Amino acid sequence: MQSLLSKFFRAKSFRFIVVFFLTLVAAIALSGSLSHAQLPQQIPQAGGETTIFDRTSHGLQQPAANLTAAELTLHQDGDSTFEAVFVSAPAPVHAGLGATFNNTSCTACHINDGRGLPVKGNLLVRVSMPVSHPIAASQPVAAGGSNKYTSSIFELAQGSRGCWGRSHRPLHQPCRSRLRRTLESQPQASVTLGNVPPVPGLGTQIQDQALFGHQPKATVEISWQETSGTYGDGTAYRLRSPRLKITLPEGKPLPPQVLTSPRVPPPITGRGLLEAIPEPTLLALADPQDKNQDGISGRPNYVWDVQKKAKVLGRFGLKANNPHLLQQNATAFINDMGVTNPLFPDKDGSSYIDIATLKAVTFYTQTVGVPARTLLDDPLVQHGEKLFSQANCAACHISQLRTGDHPLKAVAYQSIHPYTDLLLHDMGPGLADGRPDFEASETEWRTPPLWGLGLTKTILPSAGYLHDGRARTLEEAILWHGGEAESAKQAFRAWAKSDREALLRFLTSL
Amino acid sequence: MKILSRTGCGGGNLRELWRLRLHAPLWGVVKRMKTKSGGTINNSKLFVALTALLLASVCNRDGGFAATPPLSLREHAPRATSVVLATNSATFNNRQILSDFADKVVIPTFQTFTGKASALSTAINAFTQHPNRQTLQAARTAWVEARSPWEQSECFGFGPVKDGGFDGNLDTWPIDENDIKQILASGDKLTSSYVEGLRESDKGFHVIEYLLFGTSGSKQPSDFTSRELEFLKLLGANFAQTAGDMTDSWVKGTKDGNPAYREVIATAGVKDNTTYPTLRSAAQEMIGGMLDSLDEVANSKIAKPFDKKDPNLAESRFSFNTLNDLKSNIRGSQNVYLGHFQPANTNGLGLTTFVAKVDPNLDAKVKQQFQAALEALNKIPAPFEKSALVPQNASTIKAAEDAVNTLHDTLDKEVKPLIGGAS
Repeated sequence: MQSLLSKFFRAKSFRFIVVFFLTLVAAIALSGSLSHAQLPQQIPQAGGETTIFDRTSHGLQQPAANLTAAELTLHQDGDSTFEAVFVSAPAPVHAGLGATFNNTSCTACHINDGRGLPVKGNLLVRVSMPVSHPIAASQPVAAGGSNKYTSSIFELAQGSRGCWGRSHRPLHQPCRSRLRRTLESQPQASVTLGNVPPVPGLGTQIQDQALFGHQPKATVEISWQETSGTYGDGTAYRLRSPRLKITLPEGKPLPPQVLTSPRVPPPITGRGLLEAIPEPTLLALADPQDKNQDGISGRPNYVWDVQKKAKVLGRFGLKANNPHLLQQNATAFINDMGVTNPLFPDKDGSSYIDIATLKAVTFYTQTVGVPARTLLDDPLVQHGEKLFSQANCAACHISQLRTGDHPLKAVAYQSIHPYTDLLLHDMGPGLADGRPDFEASETEWRTPPLWGLGLTKTILPSAGYLHDGRARTLEEAILWHGGEAESAKQAFRAWAKSDREALLRFLTSL
Repeated sequence: MKILSRTGCGGGNLRELWRLRLHAPLWGVVKRMKTKSGGTINNSKLFVALTALLLASVCNRDGGFAATPPLSLREHAPRATSVVLATNSATFNNRQILSDFADKVVIPTFQTFTGKASALSTAINAFTQHPNRQTLQAARTAWVEARSPWEQSECFGFGPVKDGGFDGNLDTWPIDENDIKQILASGDKLTSSYVEGLRESDKGFHVIEYLLFGTSGSKQPSDFTSRELEFLKLLGANFAQTAGDMTDSWVKGTKDGNPAYREVIATAGVKDNTTYPTLRSAAQEMIGGMLDSLDEVANSKIAKPFDKKDPNLAESRFSFNTLNDLKSNIRGSQNVYLGHFQPANTNGLGLTTFVAKVDPNLDAKVKQQFQAALEALNKIPAPFEKSALVPQNASTIKAAEDAVNTLHDTLDKEVKPLIGGAS
């Protein structure tokens, strides 16, 4: 019996059976894992070890998968603040809103940590004076209050120029004191980081909501203008772009020289990872002179760090005008909600949220996990991914980067697929907002990350794409690309319908 | 094998593969292997047959692995069966569960809520016309009754509920008391468009609650100013209108042209549905909504007032209705799991149908944990706004928090993976 068995085990047939069965087991395990979170190593880890497995409307608001228990608690604390609806003081909870503001909570704009809509409360209009305008140099920001506001906005005082130009140099002393005066003089209005010449009385953005008894800084009405075009195969398409009607208190229109830039809130997913990309990596991607002559010349923005009191690399904001998430969040608290905080306190140095709260909410924004991609088996998706590279979309939407050192271990040294280079690119006149921001020009925008893009409409069925939500579909978003992305857009236009659909399907899988 | 491993059983690919007779190369591979090994593999056909049988059996028509392999397979290939179960690949494939979720749970809940919202508006009107104890009590009761279906709907507050701003306009918390006092003290003309233009913190459930119940629990009909009555009436009408619009977004579509969300859910996985590109992603949405709501109940709605001993952090502190809110939240998730909404007498397939088929023990556990969570909440003395502050209640309240968290974790760690397709 034993010899029969051993003979059987030695037989080629048995070895084949074993091999065959193991292959079968492996195949089934693999195919199972593609749709299953327990074996995630088979799926490209969009956010490295932070990657979460959720393709629902909650997919952009999950804690990173690799947090420790203590970190998860801090993440949840920060989440509470991110979701907190602020109200006017005094109040038993969440006091400190306003007096003027854009919305009352982080999550009211970054809905489920995703986008917002181009509607009141979500639509944000950034404003500034042209650098060349005399008022830009002399009158950074008037004190708040609508009475003074109407007189100061038309006041064209004379003064020296030079604080708002594009320069790598740190702000020189007169500019620094001007900045400090700016911050000190108007803690309740939108503050400037020295990125742009603020508009007297408005600061750098229009706060179009106010507590009862206070005047919103202006009202903003948006209307859409449609244009049409055709693909190479003759298929027609229509695009829309916004027209703003901004009315100051007492019915006055916004003076035409004021530069305006409408924006919708971007998703916040994976921002900790973006913070952890080493500066040399980003600088290596830059090619300001377009030396490789590929028509793409990404360049970094250099922005003011309020705590370091120095100009540093910009990463966050649609024109990369904030250096890190702490400052990004602090400016959002003060400018979007009118909530004073340790970086932008009240005149007496007090603030409605303390440093622990600001740090917790910053920790939250650093530790939202990135959702794994979906539809990886879909041949259309696979084809679209190839086309994405072929059309050179991936030259700016960099598909793979590695993070470096970061105080938060969870985001350090991760291989990630953000589809951004965090650099500024000229996107052509069609998308230009005409409003420079630190060193970003009138036509430049920072490449937005594309991870989680496929969940946009799952979270918000009416959500649009691009900086102002003008693109109703991903197709329209591509068709708006110009400037450095003109040739990629033209490639897309020339493709057969099946190829265009494949590219869109790929984007949906992100 | 490569082609099989790449296509797997997801999204109907295997069915397609089979239809296109792409399994033919599999035979070819085996035949070539047989030739190479000198024809000694007499058992190979058996294993090819086994492979084919296994894959054909575990990959059902919808492209997902079948919940349970057929009996014949279990008898003849126990090892293979254990592989299937070990990879936990019983992916979700039941469209009826999705359409029943929309038709038997979400829409009846919203329709019931809309009816209660109208009833609240009507009761407020009656009170404002004849302010007395009875009419005030009727309006307060109507508020509490509207609260029940609304809180049961919180676990499906996604899609158009977010998109249309319905959630914010109906149920922003906290309210801005200073604003409301100033509105009432002002000479502003109160009209329906004025109320519509108010901020979210100045209208909705909790502003109506604040005005109807007062802050001390002792507000009398005579305490209401005429301006308060006027404001309440407009708030009630605005509230009912918003509730109706929200329900329409699921049933008919939205004013700005989005299709009825019922269709979006029910057509998950159908080509061009980029919202839910697979059946499983829509099922995951059902789970995600439950998880979100349960997490909020345990770690926010119970924990915050309890941990900080601060009744101001309780959800419905003016009406002392917080405990009912919590129970309604749990019931709402239970409705999604069971596929019914009892107040409207609707019954359909729920997630239970799928879970029970794959893992009956897990299904029983989930059902038991829903009951346990509700029972644990029932043990908390009402009102929660007061009982949360009493040291003797600490263990009871902690037990309820734990029971909800336990349920949450079972759904998160056991049911969610069973659905599959989380990526």
